[in-house]
Amino acid sequence: MKVGDVFSYAFGAIRLRKLRAGLTTLGVVIGIAAIVALLAISQGLQVTITDQLKSGFATDTLIVSPGSGGGIFSGMGGGIGGASSDFSLVVTDTQIINEIEDVVTSAAIIQEIGYIKSGDRTVTAYVVGVDFAVYSEIYGSTFVAESGEIVPNPDNDTVVVGKRVSDRWENGTLVCNVDDAVEIIWTNTTVRPPRNETYTVTVVAVLKEIGGLSLTGPSDFAVYIPLGQAQSLFGTDECDRIIVKLANEDSSTIEAVSEAIEDAFSGQVSVTSSTAILNTISSIFSTIELFLAGIAAISLLVAGVGIMNIMIVSLMERTREIGILKALGMKSRTVLAIFISEAVIVGLMGAIFGIGLGWVLANVAARVFTGGGFAAATGQRATSGGFVINPVLTPTVMLGAFGFGIAVSIIFAIYPAWRASKLKPVDALRYE
Amino acid sequence: MVLAKPVVETADLKKTYILGKVPVNALRGVNLKVEKGDFLAILGPSGSGKSTLLNMIGALDKPTEGKVFIDGVDVSTLNDNQLADLRRNIGFVFQFFNLIPRLTARGNVELTLSIADLGKNARRKRAEELLETVGLKERMKHKPAELSGGERQRVAIARALANNPRFLLMDEPTGNIDSKTAKEIMGLVKRLNKDEGVTIIVITHDQQLATQAKRIVKMLDGSIIKEIDQL
Repeated sequence: MKVGDVFSYAFGAIRLRKLRAGLTTLGVVIGIAAIVALLAISQGLQVTITDQLKSGFATDTLIVSPGSGGGIFSGMGGGIGGASSDFSLVVTDTQIINEIEDVVTSAAIIQEIGYIKSGDRTVTAYVVGVDFAVYSEIYGSTFVAESGEIVPNPDNDTVVVGKRVSDRWENGTLVCNVDDAVEIIWTNTTVRPPRNETYTVTVVAVLKEIGGLSLTGPSDFAVYIPLGQAQSLFGTDECDRIIVKLANEDSSTIEAVSEAIEDAFSGQVSVTSSTAILNTISSIFSTIELFLAGIAAISLLVAGVGIMNIMIVSLMERTREIGILKALGMKSRTVLAIFISEAVIVGLMGAIFGIGLGWVLANVAARVFTGGGFAAATGQRATSGGFVINPVLTPTVMLGAFGFGIAVSIIFAIYPAWRASKLKPVDALRYE
Repeated sequence: MVLAKPVVETADLKKTYILGKVPVNALRGVNLKVEKGDFLAILGPSGSGKSTLLNMIGALDKPTEGKVFIDGVDVSTLNDNQLADLRRNIGFVFQFFNLIPRLTARGNVELTLSIADLGKNARRKRAEELLETVGLKERMKHKPAELSGGERQRVAIARALANNPRFLLMDEPTGNIDSKTAKEIMGLVKRLNKDEGVTIIVITHDQQLATQAKRIVKMLDGSIIKEIDQL
């Protein structure tokens, strides 16, 4: 029997029992949709997070933070990771780093959490002490003034503020603007009891919007003060991290410099590259995706059991039909092919509708997650803490889901189909 | 002149079923020969072993002992695929028609042809010719449920003839239809035998029907007890 005839016979058999076939297919649809939706969302989330990180990143930089193994997290939190060690980085350590080959320059960063007070408005902000000249060299594309001017050797009472410090609520109501006098308030914990210190500065520049999370680079939520001022204000030479600018972003350079820096500080610092962070995040996501896909795959397996169950029932109902086909001269392998074809058709339909449904679900869920809800529905930009998840459906996921759906259908159909093909014509014809 | 091999030949055919724990001898050594162009009726009451004999001749079941030759080929030497090929050369007609309910009359005939790998256009043409032969030209787009018993049996005969079989093997072909229609069906069968030279084996318990055949073989308790030549 020709392949086309086998399929058309199988299709006819499916059409005869529409509801049953529909429900069996629905099982596959749900399984595939679950896989597609979960993967599309998690991949979308990964893209969002990576983009957010990248927007504050410079791929030719390294972050040196005190303590071994603390990595980026010690740098982020202002030395949480390094707390267990007596070792601390000091501002002058940049000189050691600058001597290493392929290092262009480096900037020490002293960071505290504080408040900016302007008139009757007070907002929280990172108070970051950096050398403006070096910092703008490293972050040439992000540490850039939107208004005002960043001068290499600023006066001690001048500050550069991030976009969100100035325009906190993104609605034009400014906390402060260029030439405004503002108060910086920070909590001095070196004295007992801790007390709030205040000093007055003038805003000389507002940075252009960076966006993203700014894990390592310039942030929209920071106030930048000259490094010397930070040293005297916070009464310390210790810095939270040192940002190193490399001559190029080759992985060999990154590796060589990282090693050289670790050696220079006897392994008491950890060196993280932006690329490494991205890689770590991407590998975390891979694991999450695998996990999610695994959970979703279970629902597809359940659908497979459904297919098997229905086919065994159908096999019993169609025993006589199989007997007739065999009496008419149909070979066992053709009977097998007919039953497998029925499963392929169910799997194919399930996969197609499942991918479609999964994509719809992913988009709906993405809008709910981003908090846009109704705003999204009315066409407005849905934002929640700067997050917009756009579900991603890669060809790999699509083809994978497609193949998996059909494969599961076939695998679970093999046993019933085999039983059908093994029926003896004389027994099958006698079957009532 | 070399004599043509018989279409069907059985040699000391025996079949034993195990019912529960009791062996039942359904066939106790049957020797039968059917030549080309023959019209044979196998007559016997229920339990005489005639259905078992049909299953053997139709290559649907295997004998316990003895041999079945179809066109000189020993059926017991064939594997599953070869048996399937062999069955394409046998035209089965069953008491309960055994049509595929979801297919039309034409679809049922075409199915047999598609199993034999015939192309779409060729099988449609052939199916329509066959249905015309059995007098169902106007009803070929109807499904079995929309046809009378007699019409269904005609479809079954058209289907059985589709692949130009070596012989028609009919199991109580009129057992499920009224006597008037039965007469018509037997008229058709006789015509096929006489005009087209189709070899026919009919299995029945109906004395009346058996008298239509050229030859009658009477069976009782798994053995042939009498052969009557009606020519």
